[in-house]
Amino acid sequence: MSETSTRQVIVDGFWNNNSIFVQLLGMCPTLAVTTSVENGIGMGLATTFVLLGSNTVIAMIRNLIPSDVRIPAYIIVIAAFVTIIDLSMNAYVHDLHKVLGIFIPLIVVNCVILGRAEAFASKNTVIASAIDGIFTGLGFTLALIILGGVREVLGAGTFLGISVMGSAFQPSLVFVLPPGAFIALGFILVGVRWINQKRDAGT
Amino acid sequence: MPDYLRMGLILMMVGMVATAILATTESATRGPIAEAQRQETLRMLKSVLPAGFDNQPDVDTVALVDNRLNRKGKPVTFYRGRKGSTNLGAAFVVTAPDGYSGDIEIMMSVLPSGTVNLVQIVAHKETPGLGDKIMPNKTDWLKAFVGKNQDNAKWRVKKDGGDFDQFAGATITPRAIVLAVKRGLDFFVEKKEIIFQPVAAEKKP
Repeated sequence: MSETSTRQVIVDGFWNNNSIFVQLLGMCPTLAVTTSVENGIGMGLATTFVLLGSNTVIAMIRNLIPSDVRIPAYIIVIAAFVTIIDLSMNAYVHDLHKVLGIFIPLIVVNCVILGRAEAFASKNTVIASAIDGIFTGLGFTLALIILGGVREVLGAGTFLGISVMGSAFQPSLVFVLPPGAFIALGFILVGVRWINQKRDAGT
Repeated sequence: MPDYLRMGLILMMVGMVATAILATTESATRGPIAEAQRQETLRMLKSVLPAGFDNQPDVDTVALVDNRLNRKGKPVTFYRGRKGSTNLGAAFVVTAPDGYSGDIEIMMSVLPSGTVNLVQIVAHKETPGLGDKIMPNKTDWLKAFVGKNQDNAKWRVKKDGGDFDQFAGATITPRAIVLAVKRGLDFFVEKKEIIFQPVAAEKKP
């Protein structure tokens, strides 16, 4: 496991094992906040920061923590990083913090993060874990941006707040509402599977 | 050392380190958070109060309690905009408890004459695409309040025989806001003297 090449870690985290498209982990923030691209970017980057921090620290202390109490110890580390980013966002990007609101503290229970801590950081070096954290996080961000983009364009006719569909376009409200999140995610998953199948058939 | 004690100690140490780091972060961000909140209030006040005030409306305040402003009996802060000793207007937040989903918080500013200057939405949880047409980035609906006073408008939505538009598919939201703004306006007219009372000189804000 620890011999996995850096390139493999990056590709796995970002695409092959993408936490949303492939593992279908962390659905709560994914479905709830992606009403716009901006929310997707903010939530994705906040999660990436937490993943980087928790993976790094957990890889550092992995040999000090007895395996019986590793989960509570990981949760403490994760919760500490989430609180740090919650406070920092409140102080320095106040408007975005207001929009994401309750979903920032809820990053603690995003199972992508505990999943990476348990499956990767507890068995690998600090450097590899940090890289895994960054790219799993960026893969998560990518998924949120795609989902947010689809929902924002179809549901509000805008992309990053800029009108893109012309005035004749009648936004389809359902895509901004919760059911639209499931519908859009379903079609995106089909698309990702299709791309991967094409790719695998080609090689 | 027995195992359970060792594990307990290790967890305790992890917890202590985390607590220390969090305490540091909290004290480092406390100032900026307060400042960001103050800036937000100030920005909101600048957008609703009549232009030209030269005091600091975010500290020139008075808090009053009345069940018409919200149903929780919580004090409502009245931010006063003044130029020299002239009162330009007061801004305050009223809560509409009867929106479609959850409370709607509305910041309104009223001129000393009892005329609504501007109305803004601070927070709402109305349905996207229906109830949220109240927001100024969707429609101009809130502009309908500008210049209205107790006598020159019928304070109901059109469906109820009043002067204010509702939206197709969303009547509850506009109705709740119209009634809440009216309650705020009534309160303002009634308590105008108290609302514009100057801050006692020795009292710190």
